[in-house]
Amino acid sequence: MSVASVPRGRRTGPGRTAPARRGHRNWAGWLFILPGFAFYAIFVLKPLVAAVQYSFYDWDGVTVGRWIGIRNYVRVLTDPQLISSIGHAFFLMIFFTVLPTLGGLLMAALLRELPSRRFGDVARTMLFLPQIIPGAAAAIAWVWMFSTGGTVNQVLSAVGLGSITRAWLGDFTWGLTAVGIIGAWINLGFCTVLLMSGIGKIDASIYEAARIDGAGFVQTLRSVTLPGLKQEIGVCVTMTMISALASFDVVFMSTQGGPGYATMVPGMMVYQLGFTQSKVGLASALALVLTVLILVVILPLQRAFRAEEDE
Amino acid sequence: MQHPSSGRRFGRRAVIIGAALATVAISGCGAPGASTGEASTAAPSSVSTDASTMSAQLVLYDGAGLKTVDDGLIAAFNKLYPNIKITTRFDPDNVQATNAPRVLASDNPPDIARINALSDSVQANVLTPLTPWQKAYGWDKSIPGGQMSQYTVDSSGVRGTGTQYSLASGFTVTGVYYNKQLMAKLGISDAPTTVEQLEADMAKAKAGGVQPIMAGNQTGQIVTSLQFMLNDQLGSDAIDGWIYHKPGASIDTPKSVAAAQIISDWAKKGYFPSDTNGTDATTALGRFVKGEGLFYLSGNWDAKSLQTAMGSNVGFSLPPQDSAGKTYAMSDPMTNFGIPAKSKNKDAAAAFLNFLLTPQARQIAVDNGFAPSGSGDVPSVTAGSLNAGVQKAFASLIESDGQVQYLQNATSGITAVVNAQIQLLVAGKTSPADMMKALQSDYEQELAK
Repeated sequence: MSVASVPRGRRTGPGRTAPARRGHRNWAGWLFILPGFAFYAIFVLKPLVAAVQYSFYDWDGVTVGRWIGIRNYVRVLTDPQLISSIGHAFFLMIFFTVLPTLGGLLMAALLRELPSRRFGDVARTMLFLPQIIPGAAAAIAWVWMFSTGGTVNQVLSAVGLGSITRAWLGDFTWGLTAVGIIGAWINLGFCTVLLMSGIGKIDASIYEAARIDGAGFVQTLRSVTLPGLKQEIGVCVTMTMISALASFDVVFMSTQGGPGYATMVPGMMVYQLGFTQSKVGLASALALVLTVLILVVILPLQRAFRAEEDE
Repeated sequence: MQHPSSGRRFGRRAVIIGAALATVAISGCGAPGASTGEASTAAPSSVSTDASTMSAQLVLYDGAGLKTVDDGLIAAFNKLYPNIKITTRFDPDNVQATNAPRVLASDNPPDIARINALSDSVQANVLTPLTPWQKAYGWDKSIPGGQMSQYTVDSSGVRGTGTQYSLASGFTVTGVYYNKQLMAKLGISDAPTTVEQLEADMAKAKAGGVQPIMAGNQTGQIVTSLQFMLNDQLGSDAIDGWIYHKPGASIDTPKSVAAAQIISDWAKKGYFPSDTNGTDATTALGRFVKGEGLFYLSGNWDAKSLQTAMGSNVGFSLPPQDSAGKTYAMSDPMTNFGIPAKSKNKDAAAAFLNFLLTPQARQIAVDNGFAPSGSGDVPSVTAGSLNAGVQKAFASLIESDGQVQYLQNATSGITAVVNAQIQLLVAGKTSPADMMKALQSDYEQELAK
């Protein structure tokens, strides 16, 4: 791509000249992206285009569909159940994004302070473990822990809070929070490791200088670590926000959207509509609205983090 | 390093290319699903019933949970007709219903296939009408009416009447499992046969510190209790009519609301576990086995594990009868087998369906804890076993013609709705009237095509 976009007749660096045959584009470069692009086109672009098409139809996935214009979109934007599921996804951001990012930052800063290198490695590995476990498997383990006789209630009873024990995932008030905690657990490791590698890039002499100037942990965090981590925090926030808005595996394996509709999220709704209720058109419309929603949330964030970098 | 302006230019170009691509793609092909080749769904005019002269390779498609039964049936069939070879294809039970429409519509479908949504499949033209074989094998005479109605669909998609499209390998049956030790401890001599008796027993249990009903409502298990009450309030015709999409059928009636009210009252009295919405069916079964719960409302699919785990401490009886003394219970095909329209071995497939009605096949179904297909002598079971109780209950259910379809079979999407609604109901977050209204409105939305 960069070969093709080099402005004509301009030297791009010492000792290099622009392509000799200036009148022709250099198509060889495109050849290299062809295999990758073919896969991308078949497995990403084509389904995306198909989803756009389906979203204008009333289609059960098997028989001939019926063109119904924007009625699927009207339903998505007016059905209170679908709207509340989008609200749940935003609530989940507290657990999928805010807690892991803040927690990850704290963990990373603390781990940097650790004097023992071996202990640091062990801690880092343990923190990252949740990330390599598939979300579905993690959800199953958490289902056991959140069950009536599970670890969570055992701990609560042990500390004298036996009166508040319950089947957490089946509780109308606490179900969504319980699902969120599973997500926070999964995302925390990702954020910690990402932020730690970011800290590793910050010049050690700056920390040294801060230490000599007598800065404490909090002040070092605020004045050295945070400014140096803007880019990594941006990635953390972006990735975890997408995981909150597009959450499916954790919800599917733990609550299926229940009790009632208390933990219903758009991803779960798309699955139910598309695959169990055979409303492929409506499911496609909801999926596309979700995609647009994610872009609307993420793009300004991207811009914000980039703008700060430029300062 | 990319030149900033060229990057933006490239971005713009990508957008244009993308938009063009999309336009071409959308305008290029017609409505989705239109390309599916239309299969011939007309029944052949002449059929063969002499299985010993057929030579065919069949594929049987079912849910993985039924592998043992299906393998047994196929082995017995092969002993009779070694010339017909049957291979199997199983989908995991939790995704089988999701996959089925695409399996049936594919260009190379199985020859004998589990049909989940009979009406939908018939309307999608993916099934073969069985009329000629029905006549040739005399199924219309040998199959009891209550079973036949589960195989038929008319031209407008209403089930329970019209052309036969399927045949069952056996039947499920629902009822009440009871813990005999707990009953004795509470001074209850017999399993309840009326709602009043059931409620009296539950009150006794509650007072005695025993959980009256064990149920895992995270997976919607209290729907079973609800439908027992609905069956008694509405009768089988009204329930089946609703499930079979009879025009004008409604579940939003005062009687249905009364049935839901009973469940709501039970929940308020603590007859269901307080954590039922956070407990799944498997966990609930395990807790019932451990003695937590006087009653467990479920079906014969749990009989084998309950027999193994509880031995003679567990019994099975049909659901409580209605005020007129009639007993209803949900009972539907273990697998409703149909022949996909694109199958190339329809005669051989029909021969296998006919085999399902023979004493050998009926015995295999019973040995696996299911109720037998067709009619005839009750196959043998170990006397005094839980299975014997289940078979006896099924036989008396057939005798009283009390088979009712499961609510969950009404539409493909109703399970999700009814599960969510029953969770709301037992938590007191919706009223019986609102629940029935919600079920009806979702049902109508799904049927409006």
